[in-house]
Amino acid sequence: MTLQELYAEVSPIATEVLRIPQFDGSVNMSSTPEWDSLNHVQLLSAIERKFAIEISPDEAFKLTSADKLVNYVHGMLKGKP
Amino acid sequence: MKVATFPLLPHQQSNCDVDLPYATFHELLKAKTEAAPSREFLIFPETDRRYTYRQFYEISMAASEWLRPMAPPKSTICILFRNTPEFLAIFFGAVARGITVVPINPDLAAAEIQFILENSCCEAVIYDPDLEAKLKPLSARLRQPFHPFADVARLPQVACSQAEANLPTVGATEPAAIIYTSGTTGYPKGVVLSHMNFIVDGMGMAEWFEFTSETRSLCILPLFHNNGLVVSTTTTLFAGGSIVLVDPKASLRSFWALVDRYHATHTSVMPSILAAILALGFDGKPGQLEGIICGGQLLPLSLAQKFEARFGVPIFEGFGSTEAASYSCFNRFPASRRKLGSVGTVLPVCEMKVVDETDVELPDGSEGEICIRGANVAIGYHGLPELQAQKFRNGWYHTGDFGLRDQDGHYYFRCRRDDLVVKGGEKIYPAEIENVLSKHPNVTESAVIGVEDAILGQEICAFAQLKDVNATSESELLKFCGQSLARFKQPKRIVIINRLGDMPELPKGPTKKILYRKLRDYYERRLANSEDPEGLKWVLGSTGA
Repeated sequence: MTLQELYAEVSPIATEVLRIPQFDGSVNMSSTPEWDSLNHVQLLSAIERKFAIEISPDEAFKLTSADKLVNYVHGMLKGKP
Repeated sequence: MKVATFPLLPHQQSNCDVDLPYATFHELLKAKTEAAPSREFLIFPETDRRYTYRQFYEISMAASEWLRPMAPPKSTICILFRNTPEFLAIFFGAVARGITVVPINPDLAAAEIQFILENSCCEAVIYDPDLEAKLKPLSARLRQPFHPFADVARLPQVACSQAEANLPTVGATEPAAIIYTSGTTGYPKGVVLSHMNFIVDGMGMAEWFEFTSETRSLCILPLFHNNGLVVSTTTTLFAGGSIVLVDPKASLRSFWALVDRYHATHTSVMPSILAAILALGFDGKPGQLEGIICGGQLLPLSLAQKFEARFGVPIFEGFGSTEAASYSCFNRFPASRRKLGSVGTVLPVCEMKVVDETDVELPDGSEGEICIRGANVAIGYHGLPELQAQKFRNGWYHTGDFGLRDQDGHYYFRCRRDDLVVKGGEKIYPAEIENVLSKHPNVTESAVIGVEDAILGQEICAFAQLKDVNATSESELLKFCGQSLARFKQPKRIVIINRLGDMPELPKGPTKKILYRKLRDYYERRLANSEDPEGLKWVLGSTGA
């Protein structure tokens, strides 16, 4: 799956959890009040369920923008059979 | 230096014999740097950046030089950053130059940010470039220049000696920061805090908890609030320890991983964070965590006991306010000396008492308003002389918090005198939301109350009376609030009064003043367990903390 394809799959989840109109490379935690601490937890859980992956708590706090999150998931999926 | 020799305001004078070794933030940072230049000061796990005392001192001096053409000494700058090294670099660089820093929550709505920029009369705005889109419209219509600041690594290389030579003399009682908090009138009020306020409070806490150079604080509360700035930063710096700095919005799920991986010895939280960790089932090892500092809202005893039983880390509940720099009393350290359920005894740097409505001190066991005085108590409110006179009177700061002291000198918080809502540690006055609702063309009257929330402590419920009951829905009013209010201030629920069969209008007293207590009673009896009429999803929460 390319990054672009992955964005297309992650975006609907993120827009629903965060209740924001779009989720693209311009979205980050700093400028998105809706992306708060509890929604961050919910977003990561939703992505884990969707892609059957486990996001490590050692990495979860680093995923503070759409790009960082999608890149991280992309890396995780690469390692999957 | 004896604090008593400083030019103190009446409410800063006390019987405490406080010896302050450092008059300003710059003196404090410089002394700690000279004592242990290669010791680690700041860790930013998000990008694996680490700074020794020496490196951070050099960065703060470079920031000071970078700010020189933007703001003269004794001026004010506003800064908008999340928890990053850039925040601390600008803060320390600015206060070294005698500039007063106004840290602003980046999650505030644009109108709220504009109010603070104008009210503080700031000379310049320094901001995280991630906020460019949000701030651009403001920068176009305000007189202040806006300066993006992306990375401490891009600061100009300056010899410390050269930067030091350009620093003005700054006094201990001069302002270091203005922290804006919610105001009773609906507009935020700026609390002006001096270098002395911060350092005295930080010193008081560092000594209370026996912090040392081995102390490592996990900072997961926002630096734009005094808790992050005082409890995690000033206190740890005073002890010569190190700070692990994390974005509060991203830290919850990683709490135990951060504690364990970065060997945190202490952290400071709001009760809502403990409640969320328990509710979400986040397990982990406490590692070297010696204690959790907790306050900012009521900590239910059952929550503290449950958390301690599960994780084996003692929680130290305290009491304070922005106007007293941060905490003024704490449960005693070590854990065996605590009195659970109380907010502890007074720090040795200040004094507290409980008074009745005529300011007469009450005997132990009697409930009244809690007052604080001492060198940690703020200069006052920015540009609000009437409020200043009301809250800082007779040589004491009147907190507006009700409680009592027992015979052992332990204080107990009971309630607020006013209708302040404390949601996840964020303080919100109903007037802020009512002011916004009153601007809706179909709203004739509104009232806002705090209602119980299992995780955040309190949530916001707004009651609105409409001119035309069919013309506006609850969700439309929620959207309307969203245009002017930060997300954490937006009501979780809006109740249209016209649609209630048993309460045709807001409950009022003989002077037509809204009776908030009656409204809360009504909510508890009739609405607390009911579904929202439009089936609106009650989200878990919205604060940054």
